[in-house]
Amino acid sequence: MADEIQQAASKALMREMGLDEANIERRKKIVGFEASDLPRIAAIRDLVTQHADDYVTTFFNHLSGLDDGRALIASRAIAERTRQLKREHLMAMVQGEYGMKYVEQRIELGTLYAKVGLDARVFLGAFHQLLKHIGSAVMKQPDRKAVDGFENFMSLKKIAFFDIGLIVDILVFERERVIRQQQESIRELSTPVLQIRERLLLLPIIGVIDTQRARLITESLLRSIRANRAKVVVMDITGVATIDSKVSNHLLQTVTAARLMGAHVIVTGLSAEVAQSLVALGIELSKLNTVGDLQGGLEEAERILGYRVLTTEADAGPAPGGS
Amino acid sequence: MSAEVSVSIERDSDIVTARQEGRQLAAAAGFSSADQTIIALAISEITRNIVSYAQRGKVTLSRMDEGGRRGILIVARDDGPGIPDIDLAMRDGYSTGRSLGVGLPGAKRVMDEFELVSAPGKGTTVTMKKWLR
Amino acid sequence: MSVPILKQGDVLIASIQAALSDRELAQLHDAFADQVGRFRSRGVIIDVTALDVLDSFATRTLRSIAYTAKLRGANAVVVGIQPDVAFAMVQLGLSLEGVATALDLEEGLAYIRDVAKRGGHRVR
Repeated sequence: MADEIQQAASKALMREMGLDEANIERRKKIVGFEASDLPRIAAIRDLVTQHADDYVTTFFNHLSGLDDGRALIASRAIAERTRQLKREHLMAMVQGEYGMKYVEQRIELGTLYAKVGLDARVFLGAFHQLLKHIGSAVMKQPDRKAVDGFENFMSLKKIAFFDIGLIVDILVFERERVIRQQQESIRELSTPVLQIRERLLLLPIIGVIDTQRARLITESLLRSIRANRAKVVVMDITGVATIDSKVSNHLLQTVTAARLMGAHVIVTGLSAEVAQSLVALGIELSKLNTVGDLQGGLEEAERILGYRVLTTEADAGPAPGGS
Repeated sequence: MSAEVSVSIERDSDIVTARQEGRQLAAAAGFSSADQTIIALAISEITRNIVSYAQRGKVTLSRMDEGGRRGILIVARDDGPGIPDIDLAMRDGYSTGRSLGVGLPGAKRVMDEFELVSAPGKGTTVTMKKWLR
Repeated sequence: MSVPILKQGDVLIASIQAALSDRELAQLHDAFADQVGRFRSRGVIIDVTALDVLDSFATRTLRSIAYTAKLRGANAVVVGIQPDVAFAMVQLGLSLEGVATALDLEEGLAYIRDVAKRGGHRVR
């Protein structure tokens, strides 16, 4: 059961990374892997499979000697799983089948490395040791010509580099994912939308507004409008650092987008001087409902919302369903 | 590294197909929900251009992966009569009312890279790229 | 006709459930034009909650429907534009200026009610 979940996760990751058949073929081409490599790898298959445990031990010994590598062997469960996977990998490396299933296996191990935060360089160092060990064994084989041994090993190295390419890509991909998630959290913290009354949102904008931030603020506001079923938004720009034509265009876009969702936006904190300079720049402020200060804006908002309630009550009896 | 999708454009219902494929590809590439919508919208606009003016054409969508940067590549090609005045078609104010290029300036605005090549009698090719931030 | 138009009192409601082709959008416009006149509707609501994109043609069609409705004495309101859709429209420069909008069907009906109340019987 756990295996199925793991497999599904690996397949999903492969899709996200664009690892399809075409991509795999391209990677093989990049390392120069050809049909002629298969018999050479087959020639050293027994050597590798018979001493697989030794080679895996080399890999993990190297890791344990480095500070950064210890995370992988710190937890008993992870260490055992990794050891097992590494052994399976080694066996698969010399089997001659390097398609989607092979790649899926690499993804699983790579994901484990990423989870413990294994550094790519540390991985490369350990993998190099493993290859070196295999290489010496291949060259020392008594019943083969040295040059054959060398060529066989070089063919195996192509697959090794194929593996390295995959593992490193996974490590980078996963690290980027973490960074993206952290950025997302930071964004959410820096663009608060407050619900201060039913159907009324307050959006205080503080600091510098660049394109990126404006986008975040707008997205955040629109989602809040939907979540809170807001009818009125008071957008206070008292704290905005500079209001030039670019910033005011961003603000206008936010207002327009909110309106598309049926929310009315009241802009507060726009000083007379700034308003004048914007008009001088040709910015259309007439579309904006601007009120001097925040207090006034909130009162205006309540008036807009309260007005609805009064109207309904003034009619005969309670409203049939309404707000 | 690419998974390429081609949609041949012959009728207005193909516009919907093209943008839905675009959205799926954008989602697989890792674009946020908001960006997926923007990409779908841009595809819709340039595809509509093909239907309105060339009657038939092709939209090709693929993922890009270059030096650590990932994104989506969209190419819309047609063998139509070509756009006689590209500057006019790409002018913003031109978008009110007139059908030619209503969405082109808009599409250019929201995509990271935008290139339009067109000549009378030689058809039009629009190439757009958007990168993951 | 792919999108059914429901009659609720003197309000016509169309809920678009899936992406419509240009042809289907044009058919919707014609259907509205016909029915507003026939039923003397006071309000028209177009629910686009299920749509994940509103492009230039859809935007233009919505504006046309609103305009046509107004000519025949009805108020139109577009409801259910989703956050991503609103954001994309604004980024691209698509405008629904002149067309009333509301969060959802419930708000849309409330809007029609309020407008009628404020304006008396028939709104010009």
